[in-house]
Amino acid sequence: MKESLMDVICCPLEKADLELDVDERDDEEVLEGTLTCTECGEVYPIEDGIPNLLPPDMREEEEAAA
Amino acid sequence: MNRLDRDGPTVYQPAEDSGLLAEAAIEGARGRVLEVGTGSGWVAERIAAERGLRVVGSDRNPHAAREARDRGVEAVVADLLDPFRDDAFDTVCFNPPYLPTDPENEWDDWMEHALSGGESGRELIEPFLADVGRVLAPDGVVFLLVSSLTGYEEVLALVEEAGFAHAVAREESFPFETLTVLRLDRRV
Repeated sequence: MKESLMDVICCPLEKADLELDVDERDDEEVLEGTLTCTECGEVYPIEDGIPNLLPPDMREEEEAAA
Repeated sequence: MNRLDRDGPTVYQPAEDSGLLAEAAIEGARGRVLEVGTGSGWVAERIAAERGLRVVGSDRNPHAAREARDRGVEAVVADLLDPFRDDAFDTVCFNPPYLPTDPENEWDDWMEHALSGGESGRELIEPFLADVGRVLAPDGVVFLLVSSLTGYEEVLALVEEAGFAHAVAREESFPFETLTVLRLDRRV
């Protein structure tokens, strides 16, 4: 994800700001990292350049299915 | 059941409905664009390419988000409009899963999520319309694809309830359904 995506995304539960932590990036994009809600502390993963902003229960359901 | 390892496609590929939505959006999109349920990312890619606009594509299916990203779309895995900020977009496009599906016959895999609109066919249109006004900038515009199978009049009632005026941007008839792209503007 491009860092400018931060302007349009928020926590799906609280609609609060997210804090970006970058583990890996290239010239254009964040490839691996996390987004943490500044209100509720929920952590959302960024994997292969794609942030997963599903609420935790839906995300877990999908991880269980995979 | 392992939903990811079954045979068959896991991501909805562009069809007549996608083409119609792309035509309408290319003509009317402006500013910052969100495509909800972007699937393969084809519509989002067309809007970005033809109009030079910034287009974000979201889908609840991670396989779809990956395909969209491979097309160069800024992809997010999300449930409808949940993780997007208030007033963030000038244009929102949505080709919803709209086929009315008997609950007994739901088959619970990624293609079902891409096609089925629940028993009424409007199971995703309802929450989308209830929330889209939040993420839309004050003079923003929505392009929503509606099939006659989903109940055109019922969708119009939901649109009005959500505080939008509607106009037909594109319409095309096929043997089993008529597809309409509605352009929605906030009622003043």
